Amino acid sequence: MSEEPEIIQVVDRSGVKLVRIRPSAILREAEVESFGDGLLALAEVPGQRVVLSFLGVQHLTSLVLGKLIHVHKRLAESGGELRLADIDPHIYEVFAITHLDRLFRIFDREDEAVASFIAEAEA
Amino acid sequence: MPSCPPETDGDYPWTEEVLPTRLDIIPEAETAVLSALENLGYDEDHWFAVRLALEEALVNAMKHGNRMDPSRTVRMAYRVAPDRVDIRVRDEGQGFNPQGVPDPTTDENLQRPCGRGIMLMRSYMDSVRYSCGGNEVHMVKYRQPRQGGMAP
Repeated sequence: MSEEPEIIQVVDRSGVKLVRIRPSAILREAEVESFGDGLLALAEVPGQRVVLSFLGVQHLTSLVLGKLIHVHKRLAESGGELRLADIDPHIYEVFAITHLDRLFRIFDREDEAVASFIAEAEA
Repeated sequence: MPSCPPETDGDYPWTEEVLPTRLDIIPEAETAVLSALENLGYDEDHWFAVRLALEEALVNAMKHGNRMDPSRTVRMAYRVAPDRVDIRVRDEGQGFNPQGVPDPTTDENLQRPCGRGIMLMRSYMDSVRYSCGGNEVHMVKYRQPRQGGMAP
């Protein structure tokens, strides 16, 4: 019997944590909690820079938006930041409607988001 | 509990389901509605909108209305016609005043983690109305956009 993959996968890119979400994952309450907990664990490191890729994610709800805001605030408190990337046009519209595109820096691709952090660190 | 039965329409009758207060059954409940949209050829934009609004309504009914009390149920009724989709969701809670929910897009509320569900429902559906003291929501999505935009 195959195990369900973790809801998020974290890889390190020159000190930037790149987080990818398992496609079709964040639908159910338990998964939203797991998703939020995984991101909050990253925020325990002061100054952590995090890129969250939405590649393959076709659906989200206000529960997920709430988790993202929570993580954003926690990271900001310790000098870190959450940036978003690879957002499907339908999902992007949700961010725009809720004005969260003002709260988060959103990039077309995850590589661009990671590069933005690295460029700022080198400047 | 006040009763707000859906009106009847001969050609496209309402389907009503009684759901337990369990968030894990929401995807299954959505499937029946979304299959009906697919059968009538609604496009991806309608599918996305109805799915999002329905999920927000069901989560609100279970979490805020029924307060996750497993002894309470949620009634979901839907009717999918070629020109419009109607959805009603009713919980067994105390109801609420939708006008009392703060605007989550203002600067002072932008970082509040909650309060966006109703806004998304209103944004994606053409009409969103509360009745029965605020514990039933009736949402409509038209196939063709209507003049006048969203409901108040």
